[in-house]
Amino acid sequence: MEGYNTMSTDSDPIWNDNRDTTDMESIWEKNRRRIDDQVEINAMLATGTATDPDVTSNETTTITVDDQAITLESDSTLLDGLTKVDTEEDVPALCSYQKDDRIGPRSTCRTCMVETDEYGLVPSCSFPAREGMDIRTDTPAASETRDVNLDLVLRGHNLLCTTCGKNGRCELQEVSIEDEVEHPRYGVVHDRDELDPIDESSPFIQIDRNKCILCNRCVEACNDVQVAGVLRMEGQAGDMRIGFQNEAETMMGSTCVSCGHCVTVCPTGALVEQDIVEEATIPLPGFTHANSVGKVIGEEYTSRPRRMSPMYTEEHTEEEPKIDEQTDSIWQYSDNE
Amino acid sequence: MQGREVLHAAREPEVSVPTIEVGSTGARALEPLVMATHEGKTAFYPQCSLMRARDLVAALDGGSLPTNGAMAVTEHDSDTATLPTPDEGVLAVGCRRVLGACGWVVPANVDDYLTSGEFLAATAASRADEWLSELRDAGLRGRGRGDGSRDTPIADTWTTIQEISRERNSDPAVVVNANESDPNAEMDRLLLESNPLAVLDAALTAARTIGATNLLVYLNGEEDLARDRVGAAAAELTNEIGADIPIEAIAGPDEYKAGEMTMAIEALEGNHRLEARLRPPFPREEGLYGRPTLIHTPRTLAQVRALFADSGDQVGHVSGPGSRLITVAGDVETPITIELSTDDTLSLVKNAVDFDGQLKAACVGGVFGGVTRTLDVPAHANALTAAGLGTNGVVELFDQTRCMLSVAGHRAAFAEEENCGRCYPCRGGSQQLASMLRDIYDGEFNAEKIRELLRVMRRSSICQFGHDAQRPVATTMNEFESEFRVHAEGRCPNDTCI
Repeated sequence: MEGYNTMSTDSDPIWNDNRDTTDMESIWEKNRRRIDDQVEINAMLATGTATDPDVTSNETTTITVDDQAITLESDSTLLDGLTKVDTEEDVPALCSYQKDDRIGPRSTCRTCMVETDEYGLVPSCSFPAREGMDIRTDTPAASETRDVNLDLVLRGHNLLCTTCGKNGRCELQEVSIEDEVEHPRYGVVHDRDELDPIDESSPFIQIDRNKCILCNRCVEACNDVQVAGVLRMEGQAGDMRIGFQNEAETMMGSTCVSCGHCVTVCPTGALVEQDIVEEATIPLPGFTHANSVGKVIGEEYTSRPRRMSPMYTEEHTEEEPKIDEQTDSIWQYSDNE
Repeated sequence: MQGREVLHAAREPEVSVPTIEVGSTGARALEPLVMATHEGKTAFYPQCSLMRARDLVAALDGGSLPTNGAMAVTEHDSDTATLPTPDEGVLAVGCRRVLGACGWVVPANVDDYLTSGEFLAATAASRADEWLSELRDAGLRGRGRGDGSRDTPIADTWTTIQEISRERNSDPAVVVNANESDPNAEMDRLLLESNPLAVLDAALTAARTIGATNLLVYLNGEEDLARDRVGAAAAELTNEIGADIPIEAIAGPDEYKAGEMTMAIEALEGNHRLEARLRPPFPREEGLYGRPTLIHTPRTLAQVRALFADSGDQVGHVSGPGSRLITVAGDVETPITIELSTDDTLSLVKNAVDFDGQLKAACVGGVFGGVTRTLDVPAHANALTAAGLGTNGVVELFDQTRCMLSVAGHRAAFAEEENCGRCYPCRGGSQQLASMLRDIYDGEFNAEKIRELLRVMRRSSICQFGHDAQRPVATTMNEFESEFRVHAEGRCPNDTCI
């Protein structure tokens, strides 16, 4: 069988993580696209997400939304058209983020589906506006698809709004109210055994994956906007979750610099500033967000408040950090920055 | 590996009889298959023992063709380029238009390849327009779930890529998507193992026709023999035709989702985690590293080669000409890959396997195919789609003992485990689907709620994975809803799962 493996030396299977093979040029590097004037950042960022094509239009177009004609400039998606008019039915487009075009569209939640003559049901957040398209928000198929997908999102979400710091400022809560969801058809996560522990390691940012809807905004904010390269998507199917590019288990074990951009883009209570974790909760004595979930990781860090994670500090100090066994003085070191 | 031992045994006697190693014919049940050829006659010896192999060689050395105990003896031209197929037996089922050379020629051997005609790629540049119009006139469609033009006319794709690359001044790329991890779909691997030059010749022809500058063969990392032979064939082709378009072979993971066309591109670009890309634009517009990318399966390329080699002669159904490779599996001893003309009906597959008893149902189109009670459906894409079946070339036969809820449930569970996770209708949808099917065993069966979810998965998933994943359940419910109900009452009609 020896002979069968001869090719493996010059074509590594891709699932062998190639991020650390700096001394070895992988075969796909040879024709990696290089665009002039663009920073080559792929080498250091491993977000675990697909490189999507440009899903916006490349010319000015006029489309019709629920019988209303709208002219859209170049670089538009159908959702840009929907937001300009009063649509017949509400289109949540929950996971889209329109404040920064470097973030999204991710098109994960599919609560933005609308009906078109030519292409059938399409995701408005990530479908290029094309000249003459006729769009309806109120066909039975479009409504049903948005409703079912919203319930699928809710099924994966810990709906403990009363102990959530984002209560009242949560995009998922908002669209669920607008959509008049009373009993999500697939239920919600209510079994405490199903819950993931809360990551309390960072003094600034709390991660509660039970509330994460995998919209990927934080990963893009972290990588495409801040170019910090901390967060990534990992796992497949039901195991998919937000993780860290250095494979740490906790935020404080990652290379996070606590810039907080991920928190500002998070639509739910998955990423919240520690200061406001309890901000919007209903005051019930002895009942907190943390004990509502009941499991916490990263407590070893909580007694040592630090702006940046130790990993980041170690990597970015100019001199070698000196660790005093007795006093753990590496912590002292970063104070002198 | 048994085949290697037999070959070794045949080479033991010190005689002047040449012995060659060929690829599979597709009929695995016959293997190790030895063919003894002498003066325009060939004798077939299926499941050949080591001793028989030695005896055959000795007899041939004595100047006669041994026929004692042969499955069949056929007469043919002494320089035939294709397997001299017997008139009876499993090798006679359907046609052997693209399989013809499989099991007869030495894989990746240029002299053997040239017996069936010149390299198409050698004249591709000068005949590009002629072939493109042949392709258009024939209306040949892409085959296989991983094809960038699956079930649609491939001439449109070729033309689109030519136009876009001109507009954007961008060099197209060609990807041969051979990473088919559907548990039963053996046809792409068969082509690569038995006649890799035919696939690569057609791929290089396509590359030259559309003006591509790279040709990548995307393989399954677990299929060592296919990798080996593709590597050898690529080297030969470069040697014979020229190195103007580099041919690279890259392996991806042995996972079902990795065969989806955009995940194939993600894998080729070296992403450590695979998930589907949004579309449109499709890879033909923006694919590998943003370049317009032609993605064809080996199955499609074999059809392209057959069409061009026959100078545009059409066979099969007018709406989707050519033939279709089908692996017949399910409740059969050994799966077999055969070839049907697209105007044949699928019921021919029963002649290719030992299938005892009465057919209860069949799943057509692979793990996410459609379930049907009848195989009286033509093998062309329009007919298969109209019947709610899949086009991914697998026909699984189920006998009367099969529990159809368990057939559907296993496929829902497969979808639940294997999806990339990117979109809710697929990730969350397959979770809920599997869970609602499990609930049937607890007495809860809500057909309307399941159907609603199936519709949403089909209509709103990002890629073909989610679109197809609902099909086995949807079609099984259409045909066997009463079996589902009986389970909710606590009884399995086949006593297999409760």
